Amino acid sequence: MNLETLLTLLAIVIIGWYLSFLASRLDRLHHRVETSWATLDSFLQQRAALAQQIVAESNLDPATAYLISTSAISARKANIIERSAAESVLSESLKLVQNSAQDNSLELPSELLVELSDITNKVKMAINIHLEAVNATRNVRSKIFIRLFRLAGKAPLPVRYEFEDDSL
Amino acid sequence: MRKIRIGMVCPYGWDTPGGVQTHMKDLAEYLIGEGHYVSVLAPISDEISVHENYVVNAGKPISIPMNGSVARVLFGPIASSRAKQWIASGDFDLLHLHEPAIPSLSLLACSAAEGPLVGTFHVSTSKKKAIYAIGPILEPIVEKLTARIAVSELARSTLKDHFDTDAVVIPNGIDGQKYANAQIIDEYYSKNTIGFMGRFEEPRKGLQVLLDSLAIVSRFIPDAKVLIAGPGDSQAILKEINPQLRERIKFIGRLSDDQKASFLKSVPIYVAPNTGGESFGIILTEALSAGTAVIASDIPAFKSTLENGEIGALFKNEDSADLARVIVSLLRDEERRKELATKGRLSAQKYDWQVVAEQIESVYEMAIAGGQRVTLSSENKFWSRR
Repeated sequence: MNLETLLTLLAIVIIGWYLSFLASRLDRLHHRVETSWATLDSFLQQRAALAQQIVAESNLDPATAYLISTSAISARKANIIERSAAESVLSESLKLVQNSAQDNSLELPSELLVELSDITNKVKMAINIHLEAVNATRNVRSKIFIRLFRLAGKAPLPVRYEFEDDSL
Repeated sequence: MRKIRIGMVCPYGWDTPGGVQTHMKDLAEYLIGEGHYVSVLAPISDEISVHENYVVNAGKPISIPMNGSVARVLFGPIASSRAKQWIASGDFDLLHLHEPAIPSLSLLACSAAEGPLVGTFHVSTSKKKAIYAIGPILEPIVEKLTARIAVSELARSTLKDHFDTDAVVIPNGIDGQKYANAQIIDEYYSKNTIGFMGRFEEPRKGLQVLLDSLAIVSRFIPDAKVLIAGPGDSQAILKEINPQLRERIKFIGRLSDDQKASFLKSVPIYVAPNTGGESFGIILTEALSAGTAVIASDIPAFKSTLENGEIGALFKNEDSADLARVIVSLLRDEERRKELATKGRLSAQKYDWQVVAEQIESVYEMAIAGGQRVTLSSENKFWSRR
């Protein structure tokens, strides 16, 4: 075996190692996106359920109550494309509740209010974590080697949701 | 939150004093008090001096210059295999890595582990070149973190600039009660005393700015005094200074924790003239929770901690004339001083451990929500899975 074949073999091994490194890195990121989305989704569901409970147990004026319950329902039913828009409407209308709770014009069991601010913070954090994972994944997927060798396989490109009002 | 097994990794020597170590110690003890299991992996130079039974020794740290001072860190193949062993035998639900983006034990643990990983970034630096050079190596490791915490807005923007990632801001916690309930000691109190604390020999702590301003202040307020706490050679400073001012300056040396709280509570005004290199300024929040009026230089870290001057007075960085102006106006205006102190104490409540640790716990909750546990990444290569 001459030197050239040896070098070629070595190059192939190194490229192969690098590709497998990239693939496992990408695989891990896809996994992270999936779990962070699952977490975010479950918090969003909880928040919608809480919103409906707040409507039921408070003396909100009919207009606000209507707004919150319709936005909660549409957030729960929204498909993946409409989701972020629907959730943003719900966040906006829940802010109304928190504002009117501050000037004491609202009769609401205090544990619901505590729960609301708790879940609002958690949703914000989960959004932050999810967007983080999505951005990292998209960055890695745009790398030339990954595109060239189709290392992403059939995994769909993660969607970057726009949750403007809720980001930290 | 359910009780979980948490592994924490300390980048710096556990038995050398420092902000990160203090933060981790308080956090670990809070979490243990909450009923979680906590194990801390840390470099230790002298095992006898470590009394905490939750700390696991990873080996002796070495000193390397970093970010303007000397850091005692640990890395290398032996440390790496110790970290792996610790991860494998710990059976953790979650790893919390402190400062994972510097060459340290945290970085090794981060690269060896997989699963729910939380990273806390303490430092803020503007040294772009160094980070750019190692960025491509760090990127695949840092991106494994499930959730990132930055201790200040400044640390967050450093992270944004250098790694293009975002983080949740959770400040360092303090024991607010201790400062609020500290005893007032007459030795530290007189009507026109100005307090300063820190390693005053380091130029970036800005003692010189304060001493320069004292000459102006003393013209307006004849009995103004400066009380300086902290370790260092006071004679060298006194020799340099104008003899007429000497009697206005008093060094009281290094203080114990309780003395420190009393000091901050007793002085009517606390001044932090630091000229830079700060990320958060925990001393400010401590002084604020003691209910003391605070004056600080307008460097970004202090500006954000003092909420743009809402809860403490700011002066132009390195400008002793401006500092003198602020000190004189505050010493003369007791109303304003009280107002600042009250606002400050209220605002400092958000740095209390109770509040801060709860926020950290909810990050943990978020990270483990996926239901995974911490594993070694070597057991988890994608071809051996499924």
